[in-house]
Amino acid sequence: MNKQDTKGVLVYIETAGGAPVKVSEEILEPARQIAAKSGSDVTAVVIGENIGDAAAQIAEKGADTVIAIDSPDYKDYNLDAYADVLRQVIDDVKPEAVLIGATQDGKDIAPKLAAAFDSASASDVVGIDFDDDGNIIWTMPAYSGNILYDAVIEEARPQIGTIRSGTFKKLEEAPKGSVESRDIKAADDVIKAVIRDSVKEMAESVNLEEAEIIVSGGRGMGTKENFQQVVDLAQLLGGVVGATRPAIEDGWIPRNHQVGQSGKIVAPKLYIACGISGATQHLTGIVNSDYIVAINKDEDAPIFEVANIGIVGDVNKVLPVMFEEIKKIKEEA
Amino acid sequence: MNILLCAKQVPDDAVEVSMGADGKPAIDKIDKVVNAFDTYALEMAARFKEAAGEGEITVLCVGPDDAKNGLKNCLAVGGDYAYLASDEAFEGSDMQGIASILKDAIRKIEADKGIAFDIVCTGKEATDMALGQGGILLADKLGTGVITNVIAFDTDENGVSAKQETEEGYRTVAADLPVVLTISKPDYDPRFPKIKAKLAARKKPIEAVAADALSDEGKAAAGEGNAKLKILRSYEPPKKESGVKIQEESDEDSALAAVKMMTEAKVL
Amino acid sequence: MSYIISEEAQDLLKDVHDFCEKEVKEQCKDYDKSGEWPKEIYDKAIDMQLQSLEIPEEYGGPGLSRVDVAALIEEMAIADAGFAMTISASGLGTKPVLIAGNEEQKQRVCDIIVNGGFGAFALTEPGAGSDAGAGTTTAVRDGDEYVLNGRKCFITNGGIADFYCITAMTDKSKGVKGISMFLVEKGTPGLSAGHEEDKLGIRTSNTTDVVLEDVRVPAENLLGKEGEGFKIAMQTLDQARAWVACVATGIAQRGINEAIAYGKERIQFGKPIIRNQALQFKIADMDIKTETARQMVANALTRMDTGLPYGREAAIAKCYAGDIAMDVASEAIQMFGGYGYSRDYPVEKLLRDAKIFQIFEGTNEVMHIVIANHTIGR
Repeated sequence: MNKQDTKGVLVYIETAGGAPVKVSEEILEPARQIAAKSGSDVTAVVIGENIGDAAAQIAEKGADTVIAIDSPDYKDYNLDAYADVLRQVIDDVKPEAVLIGATQDGKDIAPKLAAAFDSASASDVVGIDFDDDGNIIWTMPAYSGNILYDAVIEEARPQIGTIRSGTFKKLEEAPKGSVESRDIKAADDVIKAVIRDSVKEMAESVNLEEAEIIVSGGRGMGTKENFQQVVDLAQLLGGVVGATRPAIEDGWIPRNHQVGQSGKIVAPKLYIACGISGATQHLTGIVNSDYIVAINKDEDAPIFEVANIGIVGDVNKVLPVMFEEIKKIKEEA
Repeated sequence: MNILLCAKQVPDDAVEVSMGADGKPAIDKIDKVVNAFDTYALEMAARFKEAAGEGEITVLCVGPDDAKNGLKNCLAVGGDYAYLASDEAFEGSDMQGIASILKDAIRKIEADKGIAFDIVCTGKEATDMALGQGGILLADKLGTGVITNVIAFDTDENGVSAKQETEEGYRTVAADLPVVLTISKPDYDPRFPKIKAKLAARKKPIEAVAADALSDEGKAAAGEGNAKLKILRSYEPPKKESGVKIQEESDEDSALAAVKMMTEAKVL
Repeated sequence: MSYIISEEAQDLLKDVHDFCEKEVKEQCKDYDKSGEWPKEIYDKAIDMQLQSLEIPEEYGGPGLSRVDVAALIEEMAIADAGFAMTISASGLGTKPVLIAGNEEQKQRVCDIIVNGGFGAFALTEPGAGSDAGAGTTTAVRDGDEYVLNGRKCFITNGGIADFYCITAMTDKSKGVKGISMFLVEKGTPGLSAGHEEDKLGIRTSNTTDVVLEDVRVPAENLLGKEGEGFKIAMQTLDQARAWVACVATGIAQRGINEAIAYGKERIQFGKPIIRNQALQFKIADMDIKTETARQMVANALTRMDTGLPYGREAAIAKCYAGDIAMDVASEAIQMFGGYGYSRDYPVEKLLRDAKIFQIFEGTNEVMHIVIANHTIGR
């Protein structure tokens, strides 16, 4: 697309169980920033079946226009079909930027759109800014989060980025937008791979990204039995259980509890790290937490470098006392 | 079955990268290894080949001359042939550029050998830039289907069926051949090279692919000048300031002190 | 480490390092406690062909120089000395055949190793340690067979080997000149592993008695000629000493590695303890000893590769490396202070692992005899 022909921001809203996923709401915030910069609008796109509620919800959360593509054809997600529908919407709207939540599926859609428009996409964006020409500067992590880099798409349009969950907060106040239904069919020849079956292996869904309190355990917990203390404390606090990769590899808890570069990026109000030394791969996923408490026997553990409170000691001795004390406070309250 | 693996050479991801004095990530002194996800892809392909009792695995890398080492390692653990696409004209390419180079290299290898690749596989992302775009862009250029985050796959007369890992479980995804698969970590580890296979691999030739293999489209996409995503600068993320450390006489006292501080901070 | 090794070996060294880091080092901590022989680790090592490094190329080995192999064995020893000793003791068990065996015998044992088997060497007996002539195991010729009876002890790989090179008296009246060497394969009726030692160190290696009760072996399993057994055993040990010295060097190197890592991390008086020159000098002393041992290993092995005499050099290497492994392990513990004495930290194990290197394959006292004999002449 020609740069001068494009205007406005298009946001792809991913849904799960008929509701927008958290990051899809969060990306309305940078979308408004970009739109404000160029004096344009934010258009959101929702694709699926029975997604009317989700579309209406998004119209309250920061989109000026929500394009709802509601059809039994899109009951199940299909990368080729969804990407092609988005391609058609983009062709029509001609946005200067397309923002997508950096979920697994979102990160698949973005490069397909980049290919379709011979543009480029930024992955796992953790911040945005603008250069003197008004191009978006995308900040992205590299080398397991040890390095950040800024990159820009100067001429190609639309500028596409997948935004990492927790980077932006949902807008508290937003202009009210309108919902517009459209009937868009994916082109016949685009569908090259089909999902035959979708299986949920994890008994419960784990919502680490939206959790306000997370209690996480690492290899320092020692055994699966000891790891139960992490689960107990999380329960007591009404929080969610997190874990490091080693704890998951040891089979103490299913992998949908994983926090870090290869798991979930979290941003709770309180993060309690139990027996976690703090490999970069894990720290990358928790740095946006408001308040971090760490328990580790090694006083030089890197986790202490990011912790608000660092308890140097045996996690299996500290946790039971903490549990009882917090329980007491909760009962008194 | 002809399988092509796209492998990237990256700095060893076990080493923490910091910024160098020249304003670039200091990666020169870090050992170069084959991207972990590409090694999973190779292991999966090797197991597939062994189970089928036939087939060949060709490994293709776009990178500098020293990427030969990584390719030799691939030849020791399942790869049959190796190609290195190395040319000054390729340097600084963005993902679209890399995908174009890969496509043209694949077409050249197919033409030279008189074969067609049935499965093109690669890691779901590289451990250095972790963009996770290569496989999808390549599939687009090759005009094939793509299945991402694959942890197992098999083929039958209808094509390929792959297990795609998701956050909550998996999906079974089917596609026609040829296909591009991007591979995630399966529940097994890549094999270690056998000593003799490693010694033999060191003696195997590595074929070169240079810029003259590029189509017009490839020429328009490859190289720093054609990159649409331009890197402006790199830096280390700001360090979060560390707070208080508690180490009382006993672990019990430490726990009590911590809870008191947490209450005062009103985080409970 | 400053072995001068081929490019191939440098490449392999990375793989072996990687393997040891991922599959050996941490895992062996638990096996050191339990004393269990970690079959799963050895299966993986065999998968990588680490057991056949010493096999000559013409019999299916990789065709590396001895110094190349030493660099790889040291890497294994850095991860776990018991692990390296299992591999090295298998090489020890193969040496009598390579030294004195005929073509058929050589091919037979090399095939066993290449296909994933281990060997063992059985000389020592309860009453015959340094004094091999006091052995009571006998081999009596019966038609075209020999019948072996007796008990061997402290045999590394005793319970897990696929073949054994066993010394036995064929003529008691001749003392050591009446000793012969036999190749006995696993599964031969009457051959069994006896008491398993619960050892101070190298606990991931298997050490047992080997019991021979009317074990019948074909006469063609005699290695060399009758009465040559002691000579073959001494030639075997001459070579093997350089290899155990290599393992001992690995223990010392691990001590240095751990001491440096801890010294950088441990803060006392507001700075890492390694900034104290007293401790820097300690590390330098550890390094002087370890590198000297390593170069003695390299020298002995290079002499072997080039066909020069190596008995004196191998004995010096073994004696020195065993002694300094003890010193360096002890100093590594000293660097760690109280933590060094704890089983939660990795250095106390090094001291336990090191001690045997002053004892087996000829005690260091016997090494002095060997060296004196070479130096003074008879």
